[in-house]
This record gives sequence, structure tokens and C-alpha cells, in this order.
Amino acid sequence: MNTSIIRSAGLAAGILVGLFIAFVIIRFANSNKKYKTEYDERQIKVRGDAYRFAFYTMMICEAIAALIEMAEIPLPFENYNLHFGNIFIACIVLSAICIWKDAYWGLNNNRRRYGIVFVVCGLLNAIPVVMTLLNRQQESMSFPYISLMACIMLLTVGAELLIKQLVDKRNGLEEN
Amino acid sequence: MKNLRLKAARAGKDYSQQQLADLCGVSRQTINAIEKGDYNPTINLCIAICKALDKTLDELFWEE
Repeated sequence: MNTSIIRSAGLAAGILVGLFIAFVIIRFANSNKKYKTEYDERQIKVRGDAYRFAFYTMMICEAIAALIEMAEIPLPFENYNLHFGNIFIACIVLSAICIWKDAYWGLNNNRRRYGIVFVVCGLLNAIPVVMTLLNRQQESMSFPYISLMACIMLLTVGAELLIKQLVDKRNGLEEN
Repeated sequence: MKNLRLKAARAGKDYSQQQLADLCGVSRQTINAIEKGDYNPTINLCIAICKALDKTLDELFWEE
């Protein structure tokens, strides 16, 4: 069988397993054991704006990716990584807007449990990256760029959450 | 525009923003945004806030 088909099937299987794990984890991480995260009316409005900006970001990034592919610019990784990169960039934009406008955490989210989930997901994605680096397999075909991008995204979002928490603490619980 | 009447009514009841938010089913930041005038709440949320603070809509949200 073609190696690209095997790789695609592996990627699809990985995404499905990830979705299943997310499905289980969300219930564990929400304080009322519900799958759906609840937001208040202001948060819903902010999140709507955030989704819009993330969508625009992804459109622009996809257009750039298409231009890069059309120009056949040689990349140190396979082209499909560009599209996954765009998804991660859009996720970062979405998270950043939600975090700084206080719409990231839902009403029923248990922040401590989500923190644990963040660390576990980061470690799971870091393992293949570290293993590859240790084995010195630096060919473009074998390097787990998607895991690396997921790590970068989780680190970025985690850092923003921590900075926001510090800023809120500095401003006091109740602002004037 | 800041909603000082809401803040005064909340302080009068000795509620923190978090306590009022819990009573209204919203986040603490949303109450903060309403008090600061950064967010205009829907009528449903206005009613919930008024009920939690034993005030009328006029007393808290009507601008003279």
C-alpha cells in the first residue's frame, strides 16, 4: 500500500483517538460532569467575535499556504503540515481573544482539572518530538511536526492563561 | 458609562462581584464589565440582577 495512504490513515486514527480522549476528558474537567461548557451571554458574544477573527486568520493563512504550494517553494517539511499549522494558528487566535476578554473559562469549567489536562496533552505531544530528537531522525518525512505545533500551541495558550491570571491578581479581584 | 448604582446596590447588600455573579448565573467578569460600563446586559440579565439585589429595573438601569 502507498506510504502516504498509510500515513493519512494513521493521522486520521490519531485524530479519532484524540477526539475520543477529549470527549472523556471534557466530562471529567467540567465541575457539573456535563459535556457542554456553559458560558454567560457576554462570553457567548465575545466568543462569537473570537471565532470570526479566527476564521479570517485561517482564510488568510490558507491563502498564503496555497500561494506557497503554487510557487512550489521547497519547505523543510511536507506541505500538509502547512494546513495543520494554519489550524493551530487559528486556535491560538481564538484562545488569545477569549483569554484576554475573560471568555475562555466557562461557568462550569474546573480550572485545576483543565490545567492537568493541558499538561498531560502537552506531554503526550512532546514525547514523539523528544524521541525523534533523541534518535536524531531529522528527515522531513519522519519529524512529528504536528505534535511540535500542538506543543507550541499548548505552551502559548498556557502562558497566556498564566499571564492573564497574574494580571488579574495584580489588578485585584474587584476592579473599580 | 459606569453603572455606579449597581455597584452601590451590590455593596449595600454586602455582596462581592462573585457572589452576585453566582446568584445571576454569570461570570464575575461579566458583573465587573457591567459595573464598568463595558458591557450592556440583556433585559433577562438585568432582571436577574434586579431580583438578586431586590431593586427595580428603573433603580438600577434607567438613565435620567
